[in-house]
Amino acid sequence: MAEYDEQLQKLTIKLVYYGPAQSGKTTNLMRLYDMLRPELKGDIMTMETKNDRTLFFDLLPIGFRAPSGLLIKFKLFTVPGQVAHDGTRKAVLSRADGVVFVADSQSSQSMNNAQSFQNLADNCARAGLDFESLPLVIQFNKRDLPDIVSKDEVSARWDKTQWSLFFSSALNGDGVKETFVELLRQVYPAMERRFELHTKHGIKEHDFIMSVMTSTETGVP
Amino acid sequence: MMKETPIAAFDRELSIDDLLKGVNREKLLQALRSLLGESVCILNMAGDSVLGEYNDRIDSIRIPLTIQLEPVAYLQAGDSKVTHSATILVEQILKSAERYLMASNLHVEAVHADYEALQKKHEALMDSEEKYKALAQNLEQRVEEQVKTIENAQRQLYQAEKLASVGQLAAGIAHEINNPVGFITSNLATAQNYVSNIVKFSEQIQKELNGPVLKRVWDECDIEYMLQDFNELLKESVSGAERVAGIVSDLKDFSNVDRTEEATLNINQIIHSVCNVATNQIGQKAELELALGELPLTRCRPGHLAQVFLNILLNAVTAIKKAAGKIQIESGLINREIVIRVSDNGKGMSAEVMRRIFDPFYTTHDVGEGTGLGLTVSRDIIAAHNGTITVDSQEDTGTTFTIILPVKE
Repeated sequence: MAEYDEQLQKLTIKLVYYGPAQSGKTTNLMRLYDMLRPELKGDIMTMETKNDRTLFFDLLPIGFRAPSGLLIKFKLFTVPGQVAHDGTRKAVLSRADGVVFVADSQSSQSMNNAQSFQNLADNCARAGLDFESLPLVIQFNKRDLPDIVSKDEVSARWDKTQWSLFFSSALNGDGVKETFVELLRQVYPAMERRFELHTKHGIKEHDFIMSVMTSTETGVP
Repeated sequence: MMKETPIAAFDRELSIDDLLKGVNREKLLQALRSLLGESVCILNMAGDSVLGEYNDRIDSIRIPLTIQLEPVAYLQAGDSKVTHSATILVEQILKSAERYLMASNLHVEAVHADYEALQKKHEALMDSEEKYKALAQNLEQRVEEQVKTIENAQRQLYQAEKLASVGQLAAGIAHEINNPVGFITSNLATAQNYVSNIVKFSEQIQKELNGPVLKRVWDECDIEYMLQDFNELLKESVSGAERVAGIVSDLKDFSNVDRTEEATLNINQIIHSVCNVATNQIGQKAELELALGELPLTRCRPGHLAQVFLNILLNAVTAIKKAAGKIQIESGLINREIVIRVSDNGKGMSAEVMRRIFDPFYTTHDVGEGTGLGLTVSRDIIAAHNGTITVDSQEDTGTTFTIILPVKE
């Protein structure tokens, strides 16, 4: 859950990249680090083992200051995808304000995607998050690889659900920003409702998204 | 279960104090001093020194140490290029500390979550164990009830069979005895007639044949006494035969125990008949005192009630251990209910025994002397008559059974 510190005038929003092992969660974060130009951008903190596998989490902090002076800080996390790290995964997911589910498009990974998605639902329940109302974007990654499940097939399955679906090739940066923008769009209403972002701090949905994308386009000082 | 203190979130904001925990402060300060001079210090956001000594030299500058997006502290030292480089260096040290702290905190949180999940599983298991336990207990209770029902049926069957065989035997004996007693009584009456004729005849003989021989034989045979005693013997025999006939009649009444149909009668009648049957057992052991009051006719199962009274009476006889034993049976109508009280001055019983006497198969008698069913069946019979049976007893003083039966017209 977002943390609001009135004294320090700071709102911290937690966003989590979830998904099966090696589906490209860390790559998503790295591309965002390269592409986003917000007012404030910290170093990306990664904790990889020698096999390129996330052991604990990755963290990318970004932020901007609202006209009211409020610092809006986003903490973008990835979870470890390996089945064995479920305790860690649940702990990272705790208190999340929004989730991107990064699925692996390869035909061989369908089962892993399904298991991981079920695991997301289970861990939401365990962490006290309402899975039905949680901002959640589905991203099918690795579209640049051969032998992947076709877009039609993926759409046929996911269009019936309430969740927005994006296709990406995180390695090339395709679809990464779009996925993130959609997540921000979904997260905004809850933040607006709870913290009066518009009326009290002068941030509309458009500003909320654009301030993260680039510090020059919004005109926010 | 112990209440755990909540685990601090791994992604919380870390203060400079948190971050310096994993760093050797002394060595860091030493290195900074050799780089930047003795006046170097690190201040927290409130301006208090957390490393080195605070000073307010005007030639010093403060450079924020930024972790994630925000400054967490300031490095204060002389204004030089080295200070800026040192800031970057300290920032890197703090970031490394942050990385380590977050990872270890996450580990703690994850382990705690796993532990909690285990605890919950454990609780769920305990819950289900409770359910099975309850089910098992319930099962036991149901089995117990079934066993009770079966025992009850068995008891009644046993008692019915016993009553039937006793009844058959009694009826058979009564029938067999009745005939001989009949002709004995009749023959005795005839014999009395004959004796009176002989008496008349012998008087005549004495008058007419007054010879010395006759006189001698007459005296030798003591005919006078014989004729007199003969009559007495016959009288005694007649009364004996009458008593036999009376016992047979009571036995016949009692043999109706297998008769389950109801009859309308005076319960005192049953008590009399039971006392007669038990006379032999009472014998010299105790003095039986009857104090039977006026009772209305009531509908009951006489055979069954006779069994109850006999059970209690025989128990009283068994309880008498001393000379001057006394058993009293009272009856009367109190509050429109028939009350029968059987008291003895026998050995009595302890509270423990008293609590259990109506339990099936509980007996204080030696093996073979009692089935432990007598009082159980008695209670069943009285309950079937919508009545109650209670016991009051004191060790070495005596026992009183009280039976209360409603009057049924």
